[in-house]
Amino acid sequence: MQITGMNWGAKLLKYVGFPTATVLGPEASKEEIQALIDRFGGVLIKPIFKGGIGKKGKAGLIGRATDVVTALKEKERLYFAEHRHGNQYAKSEGVTFESFVRAEHEIYFSLTDSTLFRAPTVTITHHGGMDIEELSPDQIAVVPFDALTGFKGFIVSNALMKMGAPGEIISPLVQHLPKLWDLFHHYGMTTLELNPIRMSSEGGRLTPIACDFKCAFDTDDPNWHRLDLPDDLDQSSLSKFETEVNQLRTYQGQSDVFVINERGTITAMTFGGGANALVTELLGDAATISSDFGGNPPYQKMLDISRITYQYWLKQSNVLFIIGGKANNTDIYETFRAMADALRAYFSTHGPTPLFVVIGRGGPNLVRGLGYMQDTLDALGLPYRVFGYDSAMSEVVNYAQAADEWMSKGGRAEVARKLGIHA
Amino acid sequence: MQRQLSISELNKGSNFVHAKGEVAFPYYMGIRSLADIATRDDRVCVLNITGGESSTVTPISHAYSGGNIVCGTMPGRSGTVLNTPIGAIPVYHNILEAMEAGHRFNVAVVYVPPSGVRDSVIEAVRVNPELKKVVILTEKVPVSHSRVIRQYCQQRGVDLFGANCLGIADAHHKVRIGGALGGTNPEESLVPGSIAIFSNSGNFTTTIATYLLTAGWGSTVSVSSGKDIYIHFAAPEFVYALHHDDRSKGAVMYIEPGGYYEKDLVIQKPVVACVVGRWKAKLTRACGHAGAIAGSGDNALSKEEWFMEKFGVKGIFTPETPICSARGAVVTNIAHIPQAMTAVMMMNGIKSDFEPRGNLALKPWFGNNHGLCLPPELDMPIVEAIAPYNEQIALLKRQVGISFPRQSMKDTSGASRMDSATQVSQIHGISILDAATRSFEENLVLSLIREYPDANGRGMVNVILNGYVNQSGSIGLAAADAAREAHSSPNVVLSAALALVGPKEVESAKKAVQIFVDLFAHAGLEDPAQVDFDCTAQLEQLTSNASMRDTLVVMEKPSKRSRALMAALEERGSQSVFLELLRLLAKKSSAAISEHAIVAAIACHLAWKPLMHKRLSVNTILNLPWHLRIFSTLVGVSVSAERQPDKKVFCGKDVSELMESWSFSETAFMALMDHRPDSNELFAFSVLLGLIITNGPGTISAQGAKGAVSADGPEVPGRVQVNKGYIGFLTHTGYAHGGNGFEAIQFLLECFRDGGLTDPGNKSHGLDLEALAVAKAKEYKSYKVRAKSAGELDYAKLPCINHPVFKGKDVNYDPREVFVGELFAQRGEYNVFQEFYHHLVKALFKVGVSTNVYCVNVDAVIAVILLKMLWKPFRSGQISEQSMEAAAFTTFLFGRMIGSAAEIDDHTNRGRNMDTRTAASLCGYAG
Repeated sequence: MQITGMNWGAKLLKYVGFPTATVLGPEASKEEIQALIDRFGGVLIKPIFKGGIGKKGKAGLIGRATDVVTALKEKERLYFAEHRHGNQYAKSEGVTFESFVRAEHEIYFSLTDSTLFRAPTVTITHHGGMDIEELSPDQIAVVPFDALTGFKGFIVSNALMKMGAPGEIISPLVQHLPKLWDLFHHYGMTTLELNPIRMSSEGGRLTPIACDFKCAFDTDDPNWHRLDLPDDLDQSSLSKFETEVNQLRTYQGQSDVFVINERGTITAMTFGGGANALVTELLGDAATISSDFGGNPPYQKMLDISRITYQYWLKQSNVLFIIGGKANNTDIYETFRAMADALRAYFSTHGPTPLFVVIGRGGPNLVRGLGYMQDTLDALGLPYRVFGYDSAMSEVVNYAQAADEWMSKGGRAEVARKLGIHA
Repeated sequence: MQRQLSISELNKGSNFVHAKGEVAFPYYMGIRSLADIATRDDRVCVLNITGGESSTVTPISHAYSGGNIVCGTMPGRSGTVLNTPIGAIPVYHNILEAMEAGHRFNVAVVYVPPSGVRDSVIEAVRVNPELKKVVILTEKVPVSHSRVIRQYCQQRGVDLFGANCLGIADAHHKVRIGGALGGTNPEESLVPGSIAIFSNSGNFTTTIATYLLTAGWGSTVSVSSGKDIYIHFAAPEFVYALHHDDRSKGAVMYIEPGGYYEKDLVIQKPVVACVVGRWKAKLTRACGHAGAIAGSGDNALSKEEWFMEKFGVKGIFTPETPICSARGAVVTNIAHIPQAMTAVMMMNGIKSDFEPRGNLALKPWFGNNHGLCLPPELDMPIVEAIAPYNEQIALLKRQVGISFPRQSMKDTSGASRMDSATQVSQIHGISILDAATRSFEENLVLSLIREYPDANGRGMVNVILNGYVNQSGSIGLAAADAAREAHSSPNVVLSAALALVGPKEVESAKKAVQIFVDLFAHAGLEDPAQVDFDCTAQLEQLTSNASMRDTLVVMEKPSKRSRALMAALEERGSQSVFLELLRLLAKKSSAAISEHAIVAAIACHLAWKPLMHKRLSVNTILNLPWHLRIFSTLVGVSVSAERQPDKKVFCGKDVSELMESWSFSETAFMALMDHRPDSNELFAFSVLLGLIITNGPGTISAQGAKGAVSADGPEVPGRVQVNKGYIGFLTHTGYAHGGNGFEAIQFLLECFRDGGLTDPGNKSHGLDLEALAVAKAKEYKSYKVRAKSAGELDYAKLPCINHPVFKGKDVNYDPREVFVGELFAQRGEYNVFQEFYHHLVKALFKVGVSTNVYCVNVDAVIAVILLKMLWKPFRSGQISEQSMEAAAFTTFLFGRMIGSAAEIDDHTNRGRNMDTRTAASLCGYAG
């Protein structure tokens, strides 16, 4: 779960009393926009993207206006704006109107967990207004700190002092930035980035004003649910299938899925994070999904996972591919029994579908599990090969790909004929 | 004067407080050599020791490591033990209690659920000053907890491993700590050698060890690091300790994207780095390992480059392009690790540890083309699996049917389940809504065989069930009639008769089933309907074994029932290898087929395919004749002796006619309604029975059946009295469960008694249902007001409306009721009572009894179908209100018999002795 932009950022920052630009949502009336312009001299119009996509400014997706007519024109331009950055794509769902914050100083600030220090770490620079990657190392402070005592004002003060930051900005930042630890640590975040923070002098005293916001939440931390965020805030990137499987996320057993290609022809039920990485890489776009169902899921959970996966992907698949290494603890009998039962149930409710089944697995209760699957596949009349863990996993992937190729070049029709159905 | 810190020094973590460890690290690290990571001197306490994962894994670890686990904790389980092959491990409430009992340990292994991990680690570290290592197995530990755990252990000088890992193991020391490296047979994968393994993937830790064997490399230490955002014992720690371990001549590092753990490594021993996950650069959230999500600089490509630079190589090692240096090689496929390792080690003049063991070529252990012509690359011949799996596969081939692992089946079922969201139950994966469109006999077969019979099978089951329905002259019928005379409820009446259907009644049929199974189990018989199957060998076996033969055929005159059964099977054109074999045997032996052999042949025919496909146990097929007999008996004794005056007649119909042309559904209908149903009645009756089949293992009737089985001790399945299982089900029904359907009928009778309704199936009934509903709603409203003002809080509720799940909308529907309504509508059938119920819920809203329009729930469906069936005989005075109540209750029993049969068989196959009892500690006292 990631959030970008001030639409929700301002609301979250309010929890800890961190000052923000004044933000109006897409429903703002002309009068409200005019009032904002009158008070602050202008507004920024920014598209609202779900998820964690960044670099809006560089893509020309931030509008500026000092009158209502321009503001509304920008609203029209950006309301459904599309944005691509790296692998991410997002389509705007409205705009925000954010007050101008006149300032001499811009600050970059982020809190995250550093894998170098293995500690929570603050990154701060007063050389704001540009990409953090473009600064030299002595212009940025990257300071790990003690998670037990938290993020303290002296860390800010030391860092800014060592970088030679202007004295007048240190005190207000020391006063306000530590508040963000509360939001970061106690609401289950893994990243919190404010860029820029503009040092407003309104009211005669410098005050840091958050002008953009980005955060990522830890899916495994229940604390962020306390924020009562709407369910669909980051759902744009989750397909229906992923949402349905995600609901099965529990302590015992993984249920991670990611749709790779909606028109893929190999559906891989993968066990283990390693197998997930390897198999998905080798299958490429032939895969419908990337999955990790390891972690010894109990029968019931595996049955539900299989039921959902089959329901979404089996019809279009040439190959049902069940693959994992030599399991340490996952009970092969229980997991295979569940997958086999779900397959049988699928055939009985949706009718048979032409499939080639390829399996590679090792682990406790292996032969019983493979045997159960064998009996099921025989009963369903599906062609298959089952490999033990002494066959290289990558070779088994190659075999699955060869099966897919054969199926797409006439094999599917042959299997269908055997099953007495159309391909 | 103190020296001034520069910004770059500040950036190295000067605000960070930690205990003193190895000086090479800017934080605490206490492991100098890999040889110290898992030693024979380490003593372990396992937290949450009796939890699901630990209770399987810990005994194996303990035995493999020579008994290194001194104790475990599990709140509330103090005084118990975890049994292992080399002795029991004592369990305590908490660490303090364990230490006060005198246990000393330096390692804590954490199996606690994610939300409790942080507090458990702090407890272990704070309470035990001797603690030096903590291994966290738990997945999904929140990052905010990992931060705190790490800092706390840093300050106290404790090395952390994990989280989300499979622990650590040392093949030389024969020790594994935490987790299941090497699985259930650690020696198989953890073979002593000279390669250390570090892996972000727990599974791959073992898989890599296994792969290395194929190139003759054994292992020293295996470290499953986990791949959360925080990897506590990560690549820098591993490499440092590798350098100080003389046994480790080289290492394999399996690395995934995300994090900068490997960037600054300086590696002094040969290493094969396997970096996998280029595709993960496309991800916007983690899939697989939580920490395997990369930014721009720590994706798989970057990591490949980091290692290539360290090793001084310009490409990825593959068998085709074996690029490597003496420092190492980078692979992106774990299958290339063994070859790369050999190549790198050769450049260092180091030979493999032993001769290669096996290879990684494709070896299919199982396969079937199903007659398809596959291309050569796919048509790989099946090969014998490596030991010990080859023996297991051979055993599996010899095994007939399935053998379920036994577990506590209290409140658990392998036969039924209820989806709490839809409230629709399933029996063997079939929704009861779908089951409701099937016949009674089909569902009876499904309950035990797990699939529906085909037309041939249906014919046979109708012959056998109708063949034994007549109970004339039996003591069971006398007992049932006596119970009826004593005004016992229908369930008690049926129970009385069932007590007499004991094991002896079906002993011969069971014996005959066993003979068929022995004869055909390994004969390659797939479809018993193939009567041209060559049974010469089976026939010879039978003729040469008098004991077997005499079970199946009799020298004396065949019994009347035997002849009638065979005639009915002929009449229906039933085709079965088993029947064919009996005919051949009878002919060859000049004898007659025994009655029990026919029952056995039909049982085997019905169950053969699922038995061969290992969906059923042998025990199920052996008990099948018993269940079939009970089905017939229950329907048979629901009819009094006067309606079955001799063995030929049942409810005025010739029994041979029933056997030859009636379905068992029709017979059951007739038993209750005293006439043969027309097609509409038959459909309605089947729907009714289908809907009643089950509400999951938690219902009282299922609990009764399961308790009866549990008390007999299913671990010796032959001891379980199947008839007692049904008695358990029957005694766990009553006026509140099963008989309560009549409340709705009474309510409807009250509403319609004086309206002059003649045919509830005729839409032109002439009644103003809306007005009737409003009047009833007003009447109920005033009753409710009166009752409330009198302080009566448990005032009577209108039956069959509203539902705890299907509520809260402006207009509510129970999808099951809607489904059945549509089913009848499609057939053009009308039910005035159902329509009235819909008017009633609207009227209740209209007059202000309810705040929205309640749903009409599925119980109403049962009531309206029944009442429609019974309305005419009731109006004409053929049946009294009392017999109507009995008919309603008995109908419920017939339907629920299907679900109970499934529970009885399932619990017999999977349950443990006395597993339905409740521990005394969970029982309350209300005295």
